[in-house]
Amino acid sequence: MRASGAHVDPAAEEGLCADGPPEGQPVLATVPGLAALIGDEARSLKRAGRLFALSDVIWIAQAWLIASVVADFVVPAAGGAVDFMVWMYSLGFVVLAFIRMQLNLRAGKLARQTARAVKSRVRADLLQAISSASPASELPTSGAVAAHVGDQVDALGPYLSNFYPQNVRLRLVPVAIILATAMVSWLAAIILLVTGPLIPVFMALIGLKAKAASEGQQEELVRMSGFLLDRVRGLETLRLFGAVERTRNQIADVGDAFRVGTMKVLRIAFLSSTVLELFSALGIAFVAVFVGFSLLGDVTMGTWGAPLSYTAGLFILLLAPDYFAPLRAYAAAYHDRAAGLAATEKLSALHAEILARSEVMPVHAVSKADQQSASETAPSVCFEDVSLCLGARQVLSSVSLRVGAGEAALLIGPSGSGKTTILDCLLGLHVLGAGKILVNDQNMAELDPVAWRQSIAWVGQAPRLFHGSLKANLLRANPGASESDMWEALALAGAVDLVERLPRGLGTVIGEDGFGLSVGEARRVGLARAAMRKDSGLILADEPTAGLDEDTAADVICGLKAMSGGKTLIVATHDPKVMAMTATHIQIRDGSCLEVVA
Amino acid sequence: MNGLHRLIKLQWSHHRRSFTIGIVVALIPAIAGIALLGVAGWFITAAALAGLSGVFLNVFLPSSLIRGLAIARTLGRYGERLLTHDATFRFLADLRCRVFDGQSNQAGGGSKPRSGAALNRLTSDISSLDAVYLRMVVPGALAVTLGALAVVWTVSFSPVLALGPIFLFSLIIGFGAFVLLPRKRNANGRNARRREAALDAVRLRTVDLVGGRRDLAVYGGLDAAAEAVKSAERRLALAEEESDARSSSLVAKAGFAGQVAVAITLAIVSWQVAEGALGAAVAVAVLLVVMGLPEVMGGVVPGLANIGRTGLAARRAVSGVQSGQEGGNSNPVNPDHDIVSTVANPAPAPALAFDAVTFGYPMAEREVLSDFTFEIASGEWLAIVGKSGCGKSTVSALVAGLLTPAAGEIRLRGEALSAIKEPDLRRRVTVLGQKPYLFHDSIAANLRIANPAASDDELWQALEMAALDERIRSNSSGLDAMLGETGVGLSGGEQRRLGLARAYLTQPDLFILDELTEGLDAANADEVLSRFERFRGEAAVLMIAHKPDEIARADRVLRLDAAAASMAVPLHQV
Repeated sequence: MRASGAHVDPAAEEGLCADGPPEGQPVLATVPGLAALIGDEARSLKRAGRLFALSDVIWIAQAWLIASVVADFVVPAAGGAVDFMVWMYSLGFVVLAFIRMQLNLRAGKLARQTARAVKSRVRADLLQAISSASPASELPTSGAVAAHVGDQVDALGPYLSNFYPQNVRLRLVPVAIILATAMVSWLAAIILLVTGPLIPVFMALIGLKAKAASEGQQEELVRMSGFLLDRVRGLETLRLFGAVERTRNQIADVGDAFRVGTMKVLRIAFLSSTVLELFSALGIAFVAVFVGFSLLGDVTMGTWGAPLSYTAGLFILLLAPDYFAPLRAYAAAYHDRAAGLAATEKLSALHAEILARSEVMPVHAVSKADQQSASETAPSVCFEDVSLCLGARQVLSSVSLRVGAGEAALLIGPSGSGKTTILDCLLGLHVLGAGKILVNDQNMAELDPVAWRQSIAWVGQAPRLFHGSLKANLLRANPGASESDMWEALALAGAVDLVERLPRGLGTVIGEDGFGLSVGEARRVGLARAAMRKDSGLILADEPTAGLDEDTAADVICGLKAMSGGKTLIVATHDPKVMAMTATHIQIRDGSCLEVVA
Repeated sequence: MNGLHRLIKLQWSHHRRSFTIGIVVALIPAIAGIALLGVAGWFITAAALAGLSGVFLNVFLPSSLIRGLAIARTLGRYGERLLTHDATFRFLADLRCRVFDGQSNQAGGGSKPRSGAALNRLTSDISSLDAVYLRMVVPGALAVTLGALAVVWTVSFSPVLALGPIFLFSLIIGFGAFVLLPRKRNANGRNARRREAALDAVRLRTVDLVGGRRDLAVYGGLDAAAEAVKSAERRLALAEEESDARSSSLVAKAGFAGQVAVAITLAIVSWQVAEGALGAAVAVAVLLVVMGLPEVMGGVVPGLANIGRTGLAARRAVSGVQSGQEGGNSNPVNPDHDIVSTVANPAPAPALAFDAVTFGYPMAEREVLSDFTFEIASGEWLAIVGKSGCGKSTVSALVAGLLTPAAGEIRLRGEALSAIKEPDLRRRVTVLGQKPYLFHDSIAANLRIANPAASDDELWQALEMAALDERIRSNSSGLDAMLGETGVGLSGGEQRRLGLARAYLTQPDLFILDELTEGLDAANADEVLSRFERFRGEAAVLMIAHKPDEIARADRVLRLDAAAASMAVPLHQV
């Protein structure tokens, strides 16, 4: 009995998971990579599944209680203690029901918490990989990563908290019920054994077709939502060309076509669940017919000798639906599995890609005392034979240059010549291949790179402003600054006018999902952010005027000059307007220093 | 909840018949399923009694009843699902159109534009609203109807038998009332909003972390940014745990309540049978019916447990439908006015005139434009120059009717802009922006936005004028090639030209060029402008520009000063 009972599960899984790993193994453990479960997690999920199963198995005892009570009034035995037994049994039934409720609650909580712990671990691993990569390395686009950290990780949730325990439950509950049924009647057990595995087989036959169709339809839904979104986003254009009314009709047509397609898919999908219901109804009906005719005395076989008693007959009839329940739950949770496995794959691939693309950042821990000297006063900067390879590419070769304390220098050269890389080296974003950088005659490698970066006023080529208020963006540079400090910095950057016109002034939310600033406006705000670091002695600017109109470019140059009084200033540029500044000109070409013109 | 209520009303009024039929048909399999249990219980017991006493039992009627009920249950379930889903998808298709209408009435009405994320949410909200009818309305109607039927049926034997069904019925009513209670509603809504805000924060902060790593390294720190994502995730986990714990406890409690009802009924029927007030076979039938009830009645629990999230989506969708009706007033273009007369003015009125126009954002400290006055003569090419942020683009949005001036008047050929009918305005003014919005659709569809009646030849002509025909011809799908991530990848300059080709399919009185050649190299910019110059014919041009090459093509240049927008100084006159 045991052997054939255990046979139900692999067959059930095989039928449904045509694309799955070899049967008999927990599905998840065989998927390697980021989202693979580690020891405790798999154990907790299995435990949750076993708790669910235990709750189901208690039903066997409850069914026996009901059957006994009912048999007692249907075919009363001699003796008068009926009332007492009825109340005790009913009470026992409620107590068992209460225990089942508690088991289900605990199992659900355990499964949820474990799933959450896994999701949190996966997110932490991804974030760790991102934040420890050098900012100079090229990572996948931010939108793609955000979609993974958000939605894909979320898709793991139902897979772990729902499908996984259901899978465990499916392995235990039907076996237990078959065993309980077999103790009373071997024929009833065989009826269940035969009809049970048929369900996955038939569902798989119809389900395969439904799966392909529903995947197509899922894409269709995404496409249709995308169509509406695209048209709503482009509403201004549609309006400017007077095409709103026409587009509305298009949306109606697309929506209707989608409905027709979806219903086609659902017809098949519903057919597969109808088959499931049909077979479970058949199984129950066969058991009922067997019980009925046994009790009538028309059927005398199928039991272990003695004829089937009413108690036993009602008992196996009450058990039959619960034999099919885990199968139905498993089938319902099955799409969670597909989504979860796809997410697991995508997350592992992304993690591997980030690790492969990321460059190591220099990390050092040095006492804070050494830092003060570097940041507070204008430092001198000196490159001594600095070389750097990124991948197979030699980006810098033997760069030597010197910028004295409080001096201004321009790194001049065409784009791609290595200007940005030199600034990145100064920001401590690269581990040098050879040579060293001296800051105030101290080797930069001895400085704590995090504290060093936080002490520099830097303006990037395309300053990134973060989602949040303008004020919060400025405060990033100098968390202790006052409101008047902010206006001072904005004035230096020529951005006062701009801020005053924003819908909510300094409180305007900018960045991703916020008020859209133009390139020029973002540049001015970026400059103001750098100007917030009043005390910093070193200013770095990377192509500060690229893509700006002349007025804005003039303002930015003017702001840079105003900020740099008495400080060390290094600007990477190939803009003649910037080159007109009084500064040492350092020509850069193909990653090496050509000439220095004071 | 208000949103949920209104959404249900919307669906009800969308198609009353299918709304009702769905519920009625759903009753068939539910009743058949429960009756099946009752008949089976009755049959076995009657069989046992007959077997004992040797009395003849007519097995034909109950067994054919069982067969019929089993078929009714299985087929009814199939039919019910098809009907309710079809009705829901019809409604959602209609809802999408309504939301589009709402948005289009609102677009450019001077109100704050919705962010991309908000629009994204709006469209995905709609797809999640199938839950309202399928998981709340239909199961709710089933639970109440079946509960009531069970009470009536059991009372017909003996009132005391109805105790179990009454217990279940009052639980479901009480539970529904509890969830719909204003305080509970708000708590659920708050939880749903918290969850969504946390999810948004995870997304936004991740985008910022990945996209702004250099800036973060210098300003604020990478680890702090990663920590910020994690703290948003913790908030997300808290909100999720709260709602998950609530819904799983609801499901568990509903299951327990069902079993309590079974125990009550078990005790009562055995007492009644012992008293001789009830036949044993009917007693078992009642017991099994009560055992079957919780499954059907519990169908409403998951839907109600999720009411916070569904309610939020419903509210946004309903407001997406309605925003247009409220925002309609701010629409500067009067759709009812249908007299278009340019003949009324014998002397050619200026193509465009601004008369003391003032504009500012309501909460801003300063106005963007104040008391701004200028004119463009018929056929004239005027350039407006000035620093970024001085209000140049505001001028273009005002002429296009996307913004409404706070004071002053704008006239097209002497006619007040506010009095021009929308389709006329669109025919008379064409805007060429620096970033044309291209739809994820074919090249032809993108072009025909400007002129749906244009033939393929006309499309090719327009492409030729925009110097894009060879590029499109080089692709095997030609005009049918799709744009977007999976389709033809057009460069920034090529996208600009496609926008230009689109504009060449119109014949306006006035072109607005908003930084047309921004981001193009000198040779490309020159070609684009030369082609435009040849095409524009007699139309007047308002050009917003800052490049010397562009400005040189204008007949007249107006400098817009940031400090005083009203002090527009003519620079040179050609």
